Amino acid sequence: MIALRGSYEMGGVPEIGNIELLCAAGFMLVAGLVSYRSAMGLEKDIAISTLRAFVQLIALGFVLGWVFDNQSWEMVLLIMFIMVLNATQIARGRIKSCPSGITLQLFVSLLITSFTMVFLVVELIVKPELWYDARVVVGIFGMILGNAMSSSAVALDRTFSSLDARSDEVLALISLGATPLEAARPSIMSAVRAGMIPTLATLSAAGVVQIPGMMTGQVLAGADPLSAAKYQLVLLMAISATTTLCNIAVVRWCFRKRFSSDGYYLDSTLRGASRSR
Amino acid sequence: MTKSCEEGARSPKKCVEPVLSVRDLVIDIVHEGRILRIIDAISFDIYSGEVIDLVGPSGCGKSTLLLTVARLRPKTSGHMSICGRDEQEMDGRSWRQSVVYVPQKATLIGGSVSDNLLIPWKFSCRKKVPAPKDDILRAGLDALGLRDVELDRDAKRLSGGQAARIALLRALVLKPPLLLLDEVDAALDDESAALVGAYVRSCAEAGQAFVRVRHRPPDGFATRRVYLAEGHITSARSDGADDSVERKL
Repeated sequence: MIALRGSYEMGGVPEIGNIELLCAAGFMLVAGLVSYRSAMGLEKDIAISTLRAFVQLIALGFVLGWVFDNQSWEMVLLIMFIMVLNATQIARGRIKSCPSGITLQLFVSLLITSFTMVFLVVELIVKPELWYDARVVVGIFGMILGNAMSSSAVALDRTFSSLDARSDEVLALISLGATPLEAARPSIMSAVRAGMIPTLATLSAAGVVQIPGMMTGQVLAGADPLSAAKYQLVLLMAISATTTLCNIAVVRWCFRKRFSSDGYYLDSTLRGASRSR
Repeated sequence: MTKSCEEGARSPKKCVEPVLSVRDLVIDIVHEGRILRIIDAISFDIYSGEVIDLVGPSGCGKSTLLLTVARLRPKTSGHMSICGRDEQEMDGRSWRQSVVYVPQKATLIGGSVSDNLLIPWKFSCRKKVPAPKDDILRAGLDALGLRDVELDRDAKRLSGGQAARIALLRALVLKPPLLLLDEVDAALDDESAALVGAYVRSCAEAGQAFVRVRHRPPDGFATRRVYLAEGHITSARSDGADDSVERKL
């Protein structure tokens, strides 16, 4: 039997002290130094992202602690709503060459798919005593939303970059009578596929390469590994379904931004000039 | 497309109105933050049976004019009608079934030559229209000097000149009233370009109309030449004499 060092608090999870936290930040310092020595130019991004993660997660720790003690269904829904707003802003920032006017579509797609899935999982499968139990709902929602956000950002970025790369082909297809959807279909298919690759890779690697985060957390907290595996399976299925639905919805909804109302492709010279006919 | 023009595509005498009528067309483009007027209130008519060569200095707006007429880019102002039907009555896709633009850069997708020629019949607008049979496609390939190209050949194994003629034939077999050919013979040798010119002329004599942007010397197959420069067009003789002059050249 291997004994874990360190103090055990909060349901059996080994407590991490401030010095240990600084040690973790040291890992990123090493990564930053290697980037600097290799002239990769990633130091600034590494520093900002690390600092941001520290601030956000510590703040989250405080906020969730307070929410768990004073929870109400209105507050849980409000937190979820704010999380979707943040996810929309972050995903929007990751899309290069992004047409204007897709923020609402991205927000609504993330909101509907993630909200629907989390309530299905919580109410049909997990069934907590309180239907809005923040410990269950917010945690699961964060995992589902985070994956949907990342994959929809990849899918949208790939949609617009693929359409631009295929602009000659799109022009030829439109001139032969294709609808925007018919002309854009290869780009849409490759984009949705690209957005799904990380999720599918996680599904394939689960259990044989990687022990997913939620399961690791439960096992660390002393849960039965089989029970933790079942929870993780439920979550992986929910994440996969949500990312698929969200990707398809947001890409199908937004690809049209690269086409005029008259159905022709807006190449880089025409963007912003599509109102006249 | 009106019924008269569908018939007119086979018999020019039945379509008495212009295939395309353009009035006061203005096209502005944005270049380096400035608005440039590249087409300045031009008007013209195109009739079935015509093969019009649109010529002019590079960058004068020939391709932009063709794209605008095909409703593949916006116009600033002006009015167009196809076979007597006002542009306002038709959405862009319906318009583009009557006015087909063929770009200079031939775009073929994966699959065979036959797959590429039949792409337009995969679109919802032609779901109920029977696709041309292999013998029609074969005759078209032969007429364009592609006797050695099999219908089941992988499109990736075509040369640039062969691909250009496949892309042209793909538009020709649609038999629209008006085709806009943007330097489609630029990648061809003289012999192949002559075959393409002759085939285009034969299609025009069967009732279609063509506008060709070309930088080659006149090939004798145009019925008239139109010059575009500084936003205006000037027309050469349209009584056929121009054609004879080109033939001599």
